Amino acid sequence: MKLVIDEERCKGCNLCTMVCPYRIFRPGTRANRKGILVPELDRPERCTNCRLNRLYGRTLCGICQLTCPDQAISWVDEKPYEPVRMEVEY
Amino acid sequence: MTFETWLRADRLPHIWCSGCSNGTILNCTLTAVDDLGLDPDRTVFVGGIGCSSRSVGYVATDSLHTTHGRALAFATGVKLADPTLNVLVFTGDGDLAAIGGNHFIHSCRRNIDLTVVCMNNLIYGMTGGQGSPTTPPGALSTTTPYGASEPAFDLAQLAVAAGANYVARWTSYHVRELERAIRAGIETPGLSFIEVRASCPTNYGRRNRLRDVTDQIEIFRTRSMLKAKYDRLVAAGSPVPPDAIVVGEFVRRANPVMGVPP
Repeated sequence: MKLVIDEERCKGCNLCTMVCPYRIFRPGTRANRKGILVPELDRPERCTNCRLNRLYGRTLCGICQLTCPDQAISWVDEKPYEPVRMEVEY
Repeated sequence: MTFETWLRADRLPHIWCSGCSNGTILNCTLTAVDDLGLDPDRTVFVGGIGCSSRSVGYVATDSLHTTHGRALAFATGVKLADPTLNVLVFTGDGDLAAIGGNHFIHSCRRNIDLTVVCMNNLIYGMTGGQGSPTTPPGALSTTTPYGASEPAFDLAQLAVAAGANYVARWTSYHVRELERAIRAGIETPGLSFIEVRASCPTNYGRRNRLRDVTDQIEIFRTRSMLKAKYDRLVAAGSPVPPDAIVVGEFVRRANPVMGVPP
């Protein structure tokens, strides 16, 4: 799973930066098309739900999604990791 | 399935200000409803007038946006017309305590099977920040420019005294506890009243030195006191901080109820 912020819905209140136990969200610095400073993600692969949702089959933690007043935080499915075999010619 | 499936995605983003807690409370309510596995076709959301009551417009089930203060009266009618429906009411403090105060205490007295979620932001947010019956003494608002001089309503204690079957109070910082309380409220027959302290950075915080969005949430985090601890302090005669927000489950009982299918 991958953590995403919907830039169309976010209003830049920065509540997610306060509640995330891993401090994945950081206050944004760059204004988007609507002039809103959307929070930035700091190494989102640390998020519990990103790592373990598939294993447990349910939402873990999820405090940021519940707290976000603008329903902007969600998780999207990623393609499963496929090891790629590379042939290197010398 | 998450609460996203209960939202009307075409109506989002909603009209609430940046940092308003109403969206958080809507998330928690819809998560509780979703976890219980209620049927969207058999669930009705009722709201009155105000910022908080706009939330019924963003729910994908049948919803009623009713007159000011009369949300509980409309909900009583819906529930008595078809007792098999699950009826949830979203109201604010101005809607429930000020203009619909009489409907509120009589719904508690009748103990009709509703779940009432009151988003208490201590002020009339939508009309420009007038003082409401829950504005704490000393707080500034448009109509109390020198500080409110009247004592405020304690809505949870009012519901307990009026006879509701389940009463709880949480803040918008305690999202998991709030979700659990709403789930318990839906499962309890009879009127379930969940008061949620909500932040209003635009109209309450701006006038009361809580201008940043996170300031009020920080107050909820630091000044909340569990009901058990409050009772312990009162029993021991210890001083209780005057600005403590008592949170937790106030009452859960099994009084005779009205409006449940036979």
